[in-house]
Amino acid sequence: MSKLSVTLIHGTVVEEEVALTLVELCQACNADEKYVLEWIAEGLLEPVGESPQHWRFSGDSLRRARLARRLTRDLEIDPAGVALALDLLDEIAALRSRLQRAGIE
Amino acid sequence: MAFKDYYEVLGLTSGASQDDIKHAYRKLARKYHPDVSTASDAEARFKELGEAYAVLKDPEKRAAYDDMVARGKGGQGFQPPPGWDAGFEFSGRDFEAGAGMDQGDLLDALFRQQARAGQKAGRRAQGQDHHARVMIDLADAYRGAQRSISLRMPVLDPKGRVTMQEHTLDVSIPKGIRAGQHLRLAGQGGPGLGDGPAGDLYLEVNFNTDPLFRADGRDVYLDLPLSPWEAALGASVTVPTPEGPVQLTIPPNSVAGRQLRLKGRGIPGSPPGNLYAILKIALPPADSEAAREAYRVMAKGFDFDPRTHLGGDPS
Repeated sequence: MSKLSVTLIHGTVVEEEVALTLVELCQACNADEKYVLEWIAEGLLEPVGESPQHWRFSGDSLRRARLARRLTRDLEIDPAGVALALDLLDEIAALRSRLQRAGIE
Repeated sequence: MAFKDYYEVLGLTSGASQDDIKHAYRKLARKYHPDVSTASDAEARFKELGEAYAVLKDPEKRAAYDDMVARGKGGQGFQPPPGWDAGFEFSGRDFEAGAGMDQGDLLDALFRQQARAGQKAGRRAQGQDHHARVMIDLADAYRGAQRSISLRMPVLDPKGRVTMQEHTLDVSIPKGIRAGQHLRLAGQGGPGLGDGPAGDLYLEVNFNTDPLFRADGRDVYLDLPLSPWEAALGASVTVPTPEGPVQLTIPPNSVAGRQLRLKGRGIPGSPPGNLYAILKIALPPADSEAAREAYRVMAKGFDFDPRTHLGGDPS
């Protein structure tokens, strides 16, 4: 194992500064375009733009697409099931953050 | 390698049918999937399930496993033959907190690089995007921070062999970052093929648990205990914030649960978040005669029934 050191790196905050293209999103979540198109058809991802070439995905799409990919791979769920699971997970996350805000959890 | 009874992992016995195995895996995988479960051992359990299922779902691997178990019985220092599980010992994913690559991604990267190594020279392609997590303190989000992150990534040596290389990155975490956000580090992912560009590295940022503050998006929450007289009469109290203490005016007749907003004192940004002090009333203990007398004076001084809304006779 060799070592390699690099100087200070500045990144961009995906959720604030980045709009991903279809190709970038597929690359970033390591999923085939086929899956991403299915997730779009289910409304799980909502790109802005008229055609796939012009689609732009908000930064939060990265989190959703990665989660969708994990659920698809690990639990063998179909796209409709993945979409439902994501909606429910979002709802649970919102409820949990209310509990946490109140200091209950 | 520690021996694991894959049937036991799935809650089955060795006579289980392929359908039983599939059902048991699916049920348990849903229960322990780290994206779904909050159980503290979910990650470890899920990995174990994936490992067991990868072997038992495949009749050939299952037969090899059954055979190995039968031969190993009664023997001391059980050792499976080397390489019997080659190719699937990496199932499951690394959900380790802190900086670390997603193991599934790492393996995908590894296999793709191996596949590419076999392809004709002269092809160019962009490298894989990689993902890792990094934990910071809430205070780091207020002022920005630097983090050294060590990643292990598969790299092809000049002879086309895959070796693991440790890669240390000094990363600037920008001020105003919020929990769950991703930082994209262009060109810090897997190396490209030919003269193709390297992939990107995505860092998911999360906060360490803070003893005082709770962040929700860009807003931050704090419990602020008050004495009954401070809440009743109003007061000026010192309140900690991640940027240092501030004076806060408590209006008279404040009640428990009320949230006082410190505008713009949340996580910086445009707009910045707010800091909310959630009021709690702390009762002084009646642990001396003087204290008990003070409570008696209060009892005489008030015509107060906290239970009127429960109905019935006040008593």
